[in-house]
Amino acid sequence: MLTCKQVSYLASKKLDKKLTLIEQLSFSLHIMMCKLCREYARDISALHQFVSKASRAGKMILPDSAKLSGQSRERIKQVLDKTIVSKE
Amino acid sequence: MVHTLSNPEQWLDLYGDILYRFGLARVNKVEIAEDLLQETLLAALKAKDNYSGKSTEQTWLVGILKHKIIDYFRKSTRDNVQEFDENIIDEDDVYFNEQGHWKVNSSSWSKPDKSIEQEQFISILQQCISRLPKRMAQLFMLSEFDNMTSEQVCEVMSISTMNNFWVMQSRVRVQLRHCLEVNWKNQ
Repeated sequence: MLTCKQVSYLASKKLDKKLTLIEQLSFSLHIMMCKLCREYARDISALHQFVSKASRAGKMILPDSAKLSGQSRERIKQVLDKTIVSKE
Repeated sequence: MVHTLSNPEQWLDLYGDILYRFGLARVNKVEIAEDLLQETLLAALKAKDNYSGKSTEQTWLVGILKHKIIDYFRKSTRDNVQEFDENIIDEDDVYFNEQGHWKVNSSSWSKPDKSIEQEQFISILQQCISRLPKRMAQLFMLSEFDNMTSEQVCEVMSISTMNNFWVMQSRVRVQLRHCLEVNWKNQ
């Protein structure tokens, strides 16, 4: 019988890779009997789906409040302008 | 549809913040995200004659940035990385007791449905990610957000074995799930 810790590992691996038959069977058996692991597996699967959907929709993960500082913007602008001029 | 490029002088104004945020979410360091932004715009300047117009200007720039981020990871991977990973893996477990049972009595949360909820959820998720150890946050961003395969993530981040990858990924998920459970209120 697997421990909850082992099951949490399989629940996560399962989202990226097909489990072996033995892994899948022992996982299912545990999940059937253990509510905490059942909910855990459901939650991380929901999170995984949510993130891949958000990423496909081009959602950015940082809140809009993170902005380039004025000072750094100016510094980068100067580097770019110099390069643009030297190209022309 | 064929897209055209705007004047390179406008790139920083139009996409500076977006590219900066994209990089920052992956490298977690302000100075490095700034350097990556600058390198991306310089590379774009050099490559602008090769722009095919198949993708939008923004998608094209993000594509260049993604390569820069991967280069950064490859270069920044140091010798002590593997030791660091072993430490993460061997670390005492906060979430399981010695018998491998859950220590925290958790309860399930509901998925955000409406778009307002989704925005809130993303913002909470971001905060949860930023509380992870840096390397684990990177692993999550690369594999979940950038859709890299587990093999690619191992290569880019110099993770020594697939098993280490699965263990780290599993730890990330346990921590994120716990953080979301505490901070994401069921509506």
